[in-house]
Amino acid sequence: MRCLLSLFVLLMGLFATVNSYAADAPQPALTTEDSSGPQVVQPIEFPHDRHAGLRNPSDPTNSDPLKGGMEIDCMYCHTYARRSAVAGIPTLQKCIGCHQSIESVRNKPRIQELFKYWDAKKPVPWKKVHDMPDFVRFNHERHIKRFVEQQNRPTQEACGYCHGDVKQMTVARRSKGLTMGWCANCHQKDHPVTAAGGTPVGNQAYWYSFQKPVAGTAGGEVKAQDTNNIKAQGPNDCWQCHK
Amino acid sequence: MSVNNLLENWAQFRHFHPVDDKPHDPYKWAMSIDLDACTGCNACSVACYAENNLPVVGKEKYQHGHVMHWIRIERYWDESLGVAGGGDFPEQGAQFLPMMCQQCEAAPCETVCPAAATNHTADGLNSQIYNRCVGSRYCSANCPFKVRYFNWYDYPTTDNVWPAEMNQQLNPDVTVRSKGVMEKCTFCVQRLHAAKGTAKNEGRLVHDGDVQTACQQACPTSAITFGNLVDPESKVHKQWQSQQVELDKDAQVKDQKEGGSGLRGYRIFEELRPYPSVMYLERVRESAV
Repeated sequence: MRCLLSLFVLLMGLFATVNSYAADAPQPALTTEDSSGPQVVQPIEFPHDRHAGLRNPSDPTNSDPLKGGMEIDCMYCHTYARRSAVAGIPTLQKCIGCHQSIESVRNKPRIQELFKYWDAKKPVPWKKVHDMPDFVRFNHERHIKRFVEQQNRPTQEACGYCHGDVKQMTVARRSKGLTMGWCANCHQKDHPVTAAGGTPVGNQAYWYSFQKPVAGTAGGEVKAQDTNNIKAQGPNDCWQCHK
Repeated sequence: MSVNNLLENWAQFRHFHPVDDKPHDPYKWAMSIDLDACTGCNACSVACYAENNLPVVGKEKYQHGHVMHWIRIERYWDESLGVAGGGDFPEQGAQFLPMMCQQCEAAPCETVCPAAATNHTADGLNSQIYNRCVGSRYCSANCPFKVRYFNWYDYPTTDNVWPAEMNQQLNPDVTVRSKGVMEKCTFCVQRLHAAKGTAKNEGRLVHDGDVQTACQQACPTSAITFGNLVDPESKVHKQWQSQQVELDKDAQVKDQKEGGSGLRGYRIFEELRPYPSVMYLERVRESAV
């Protein structure tokens, strides 16, 4: 009996220790392939579809808000995407800059809410939707340079590779996995690495060895028939994307 | 990318001997530190704390060996001058040596990591991947320079490390490490990435002087030189060359000359063949002048 009692005390003590241990370090909820993270509630339900959505061809004056958008470029508001690692959330000034002269929607509840922040001289506390873990290094600028400036693709398409079809959303939601394997999918496909360590695409020096061709691939060129022989290898420069 | 793949290809990414097995092109980051210029002021260390989100652990944890300085100033005394010499001014004659991760080409820490959390990069750095680290501390045990530091506590939630309002001063480009991972000097890899990004946008390579490490930037006597060793125009290349220190040698040719070469450049623990990327310039001693 005594032995049982001491065992009980020992076990309780163990649980208590473990519990207090875990409570010390609150970790952010990790996302998996199947989950797109927590549902973010924004202070104002911002209608991306109304701003960035396509115009309704049958309504050239764009009078019906339910039918068409303004086709505003993503980078009119998220202006830092083309010149820095982070895309940035527009300042309240940017919202007001347009909305002070759009009388037709001035009395809508969301706009009134917006002007409340403006009058109080307080920024809107937007929440981050695509919130990457601390150890991920992602550079918007490089992606915009490549897709929009070099390859001349439409901004909404380029942004949509990672952010989904935001022009059809009201409040932005995560629609892509944004896991490491998901990133690597594109990078393996589009930036194969030559045996010498360089990449044949646009002479840009990547060092992805997720899919480094086995030695002997002639001339450093990755040919379609070689892709089957390419052996996935361990990480080499994890620092490309991890910090 | 399974663990099997990782283990199978374990050795392929390691340098056994630099230069021969993998060319450094276009970058090989390296450093040289002039010990004659170093005054032991610790500005480099402070700059590193600020740049890399290092926790200030306090006196008690310091005494337990939990200090997290990625760059530390080691102090040495000449036997004839220091405390042992019994002079009137025992502090006189102190010599200083800033010690940080030497970014070895054939790094002893890399070969022992059970999780492949520390790897070699194409530009010659020894990377430490926090989210991969399981905290075995084997790397630290195998590091001859003892420059790897382990997070014994979850410092962000530990009292007096960063009071709430100080969270605002943390560098967003550097992870705030959590409990149970190893960390070390990265040669300010976040700055290297920024410089490489800018250079790539402009369609060129990183020029010498485009990027400075935090310690180099803070050094009041410019004792620290950092740059691309492959670039023949870089200051660090010129220094290594003028001191006849070669990256891929475990014993420099100049040191085998009778009577020495009279050059000041040397690397620490060169004979252990880690091929460090940091060259020190020996202090000019009073007795030698």
